[in-house]
Amino acid sequence: MAAVSLIGRGTVVRGNVRGDGSLEIQGRVEGDVTVTGDVVLGEEAVVRGSITGAQLNIAGTVQGDLRGTESLLVERGARVVGDLTSPRIGVAPGALVRGTVRTDGEAPLATPVARRPGLTAQPLRAAAPAVRPAPVAAPKLEPVKAAPPPPPPPKVDAPLEEADSEEMESEPPSAPAAAAAAKAPPPVVPALGKHAKAKKKRRDG
Amino acid sequence: MAGTVVGEGLSIEGDLSSDEEVVVHGNVRGKLTTTDQVSVASGGVVQADVSGATVSIAGQVTGDVTATERVDLQTGGRLVGDVKAARFTIADGASFKGNVDMEM
Repeated sequence: MAAVSLIGRGTVVRGNVRGDGSLEIQGRVEGDVTVTGDVVLGEEAVVRGSITGAQLNIAGTVQGDLRGTESLLVERGARVVGDLTSPRIGVAPGALVRGTVRTDGEAPLATPVARRPGLTAQPLRAAAPAVRPAPVAAPKLEPVKAAPPPPPPPKVDAPLEEADSEEMESEPPSAPAAAAAAKAPPPVVPALGKHAKAKKKRRDG
Repeated sequence: MAGTVVGEGLSIEGDLSSDEEVVVHGNVRGKLTTTDQVSVASGGVVQADVSGATVSIAGQVTGDVTATERVDLQTGGRLVGDVKAARFTIADGASFKGNVDMEM
């Protein structure tokens, strides 16, 4: 009779939870959770305390250590501040984990050996594309870039300044009409201010 | 589906407060409070003050029981503690020791 227990969404437990069987937590626990079965922590669940179980499936928020005697899976959206300990640990993208992660009871040699060839292959791949187009593309790009940049700044600045003056000149005529309306000036002033500030910065820079 | 189930073999030491139904097959020690129904199933052991809208007891409860609606002590249920509820039934075969206050 592996009883299934549930701490519902609207339930708060202040104290320790322990025993046999599996436990699903959708609510809030302020204390340690220790069970022999599996623990499922829902997305909106919050546990302030450690959680120990056979297989942990964490999608909620935990402030405390997690220990899965069989496995530990931290789901997307989970927030864990504490250490993770289990022979099998999974952390999904989108999960937040802050703490030490330790896989106990598994031979760690297999994975490093598999990774080494991958690491050597990556530099080779990275070097190859760099050799092929980089020198060719770079000269092409440089002249292209070099040619336009010098002319644009003066050209750009000049028209901008002209535009500024034109705007300034063109708007005053409309300003009297707007002044009559009384409410018109506020929108005009901020619009000018934004442009003017940006242009001043460009000129200064 | 009950909101919260304390399964057989599970024990909670501390306060359990809820706004949904609470069913106890295991152990609760401390305090048990909900605005909804509390059921202590046969085999459930509660050593705590219990309060809820309705409280039905088929297991063992040691502590004061307060209900805004009713308390039902069912066959096989054992209650040691005071009861405060507008309605209170004790089934044949249940055991009870304590005071009753039905003035709400």
